[in-house]
Amino acid sequence: MSEPNLQPPRSSLLLVRWLCRHDLAEEIEGNLIEYYQQTRDRSTRFAAIRYWFQVINYLRPSTLKRFKSSKVKPMFIFNPLFTIRSLFKQGSSTLINILGFSLGLVCVLFLYFHIKSELSYDSFHTDKDKIYRALRIANPEEGTELVGVTSGPFAPALQNDFPNSISSTCRAIPSDALVSFEDKSFIEENILMADSNFFSFFSFPLLSGTADQVLSGVNDVVLHKDLAKKYFGDQDPIGKIIQIDNELEFIVKGIMDDFPAKSHMDFNMVGNINLLNLEGWWNNGLITYVKIETPEEADYVNGQLEQFMDKYFGEDFAANDFRLGLMLESLSGMYFHSDISFDRIRHGDLNSIYILGAVGLAILLIACFNYVNLSIAQSFRRAREIAVRKVLGGDKLRITLQLMGESLTILLFSSAIAVGLSMLLHPVFNNYFQLDVSLNWSDPALLMFGGALLFTTLLVAGLYPALLISSFNPVKVLKGGKSSSGKNVLVRKLLVVSQFLIAIFMISATLLISRQMQFVQTKDLGFDREAVMTLDINNSAIRNNIESFKDAFADEPDILSISAVGGEPSGFHDITLIELPGNPENQRINIGWGDEDYFETFGINIIVGRSFSQNLESDLGNTAVINRKAMEMLGFTTESVLEQRVLMTSWDLDLRVIGVTENYHFSTLKEQMEPLIIVHGLRYRKLAIKMNAANLVAAMEAIDDKWEQFSPEYPMQYEFLDESVAQQYENEVKQSKVFTAFSAISIFLACMGVFGLATYTARQKQKELGIRKVLGATARQIIGLLSREVILLIGLASLIAIPVAWYFIDQWLNDFAYQISIMAHWPLFLASGLAVALVAFLTIGLKTYRAAVSNPTESIRYE
Amino acid sequence: MKGTNLGEFEELVLLIVLILQEEAYVLKIKDEVYSQIKRSVAMGALHSTLSRLEKKGFLESEMMGATQERGGRRKRIYQLTGTGKAILKEAKEQRQMLWNQVPDYALKIVYV
Repeated sequence: MSEPNLQPPRSSLLLVRWLCRHDLAEEIEGNLIEYYQQTRDRSTRFAAIRYWFQVINYLRPSTLKRFKSSKVKPMFIFNPLFTIRSLFKQGSSTLINILGFSLGLVCVLFLYFHIKSELSYDSFHTDKDKIYRALRIANPEEGTELVGVTSGPFAPALQNDFPNSISSTCRAIPSDALVSFEDKSFIEENILMADSNFFSFFSFPLLSGTADQVLSGVNDVVLHKDLAKKYFGDQDPIGKIIQIDNELEFIVKGIMDDFPAKSHMDFNMVGNINLLNLEGWWNNGLITYVKIETPEEADYVNGQLEQFMDKYFGEDFAANDFRLGLMLESLSGMYFHSDISFDRIRHGDLNSIYILGAVGLAILLIACFNYVNLSIAQSFRRAREIAVRKVLGGDKLRITLQLMGESLTILLFSSAIAVGLSMLLHPVFNNYFQLDVSLNWSDPALLMFGGALLFTTLLVAGLYPALLISSFNPVKVLKGGKSSSGKNVLVRKLLVVSQFLIAIFMISATLLISRQMQFVQTKDLGFDREAVMTLDINNSAIRNNIESFKDAFADEPDILSISAVGGEPSGFHDITLIELPGNPENQRINIGWGDEDYFETFGINIIVGRSFSQNLESDLGNTAVINRKAMEMLGFTTESVLEQRVLMTSWDLDLRVIGVTENYHFSTLKEQMEPLIIVHGLRYRKLAIKMNAANLVAAMEAIDDKWEQFSPEYPMQYEFLDESVAQQYENEVKQSKVFTAFSAISIFLACMGVFGLATYTARQKQKELGIRKVLGATARQIIGLLSREVILLIGLASLIAIPVAWYFIDQWLNDFAYQISIMAHWPLFLASGLAVALVAFLTIGLKTYRAAVSNPTESIRYE
Repeated sequence: MKGTNLGEFEELVLLIVLILQEEAYVLKIKDEVYSQIKRSVAMGALHSTLSRLEKKGFLESEMMGATQERGGRRKRIYQLTGTGKAILKEAKEQRQMLWNQVPDYALKIVYV
């Protein structure tokens, strides 16, 4: 016989007592205890597990308590009919709730799709974790200026030096060209020249052709299906021959399908890179990819790269007294790592994503708080219903479930509307935010996200009111007393404060960001951006005839001036090293190329000296104009600067300074103005044309005509300078639009919350108001009384929101070297607080006016 | 009532309840099922079979006999009702009748 005291785990018995039917509990417990003793005696293996198996096995439908059953049950289980009835009864607030949730969900849905597509860049490559890109490090000692392009010999050398780590390499270079087939010809800007293993190295999908074969010949080319359609219509594209730049002939060997997700490379045509000259370690311009099996191997290779660079560049480093580093960057990090010079891949902005995510969350939160507020505000109406239910035997759990069911119904309704709305608004959204978001409803992750979202929203918005309302004391309610405690009011005030906080934050951020954008777009940049058009010099017919092309416009009245340029203001400028004769110390300077009409075309002021001269042949390639910064950097004054000589060894130039310009913003306002040198020279990439702003159409027709004369085969590629300048702030403009749109939504939703609060207060204080009126209070005093609370809440919200917004905007502005001063714009913060207060006041006024003018006998008649 | 037929396991349980007489409660039945026919069955499963048989009217039960090793809890002792005994008998006779018709040679196991 065992010791009688040996008892099974208490928890198991409690479980049985708690879950099993009352009339069975004793027997079951007895059996379990006896069983436990038995197995202890026999000391069987896994006794505990066996015991618990028996316990769990006892929990089955025939033994469990009937949680649902009750004598008056059907009325109190979750009943859809009640739900619908009560939702209809509270018509206006149901509508507000559904509207609020739908709006919030639409925002979240769009943001979900956008963020998802941003984060899924390059995710479709089979070997995505093994692919790295080689980046050069320009100044390994002092900083980490990374350079995105490498030269041809890197790939074979890397493969050769690390045969055990690097399994394969691939090189690619983006390019553009004139592509023609029969009578169709277009400039294709998204051509990629790549190694023949490109399609097996990456996993871009092929509709026809095999990955390792399609690029095997030097003249092979692979087209995207849309491009094939553009050139060949419905004909079979395989085997067709296309002309490139009217010189080369390519054979179509494969067709690409749409990419499963976006890629950091944007191309619709791939040719073989071996057509190009890949010799020379300094002939940079392509992207080198390597494939390394494990991250450890990649670390190892990264560590060896300094020696690698010494091995191949050692002599050059010694001769020029500087050095370069090399590093590997993983494919997953590429898209968001945008701080790279000479980068030829697409980048996303991680900050924008954070901002969008936070904004979406904030909107949803406001909608949830609204729901909580409105339901609590409604609760006094329902107090009686709940009390009667309780008296009739409905218990708290069931009432809670019923209320949660109502929340769920509203949520499901809103989700359906949100899905519909987002499909409807999809083009508007993409257009307004200049995004390319596609709504992919079949995404399995979406289902999980949606489920999780609904569940959390239900918890955040539904649980508190449900618990609160279901805990009303029926006796008090039916006697006619107040049904809420002070604590609930505090919670609701907190919710309203946080709504206002978000709204004030959004509004002040919107105001300041748009002020900065206005500043950026209207600031005098030091050059004239209006009515200037830039044409790409994209073919030899123009390139070889620049002078006569310019002359052709001599008697066009609407063309004011034309300049051939390499680096227009706001466009791309090379960076090079400059030194003074007899002083080997060199300094970095931005360099641009221009002809004699450069400064006139862009309206740049020359403060000392002169511009380039057409009549002096000696100017060409020998003279330069520098800006004031460059003059100061080189240590000259306005008196001494003219006719000074400067050297640029890397370009092999020995230049005479003939003029100095005022500083102007040749790059973006995000950067400080830097030293700049404009060389009178031949590296022209574009033609800049200053037109008569009053007669743009005629001017453009003239340009079009002349282009047609000089270069009938090549389509004209042009941009307007003011648009190019605006382009620099694309991201910021997007963010500014996001803030504008969402701050409108947030204030709208917040006001719904205020409306709820005002309804509640007016109702609660009905009697008080009646008595006050009897004692002589005016309607205005009463409205003031009711709004005072909300105004206080807004004041509190402003106190928190303004510093937070201040900090955020300060951070945001840090991207700009030239920014508005927040200090000077402090009234805007005040204004956003006041704006919210005003809107809230109007909302309350609407609601409380009725309470204020109502006949006091109505409200104090009953006691 | 739907299906007053006896399932195979139900029949076994009824028989064992008969065998155990005064000791026919869940734990004992479980042990007996294991020792007699080498079938391991959880008490919970047994409980649902027993209460099903009770519902069908083949068994009745009574709480009695608290012992110390049961922590002072009584046990539910099952015994067969008249209907239970009748149906068990009927089942046996049906089987017997069927057995009687099986020719001897048909049962011979031939190992090919």
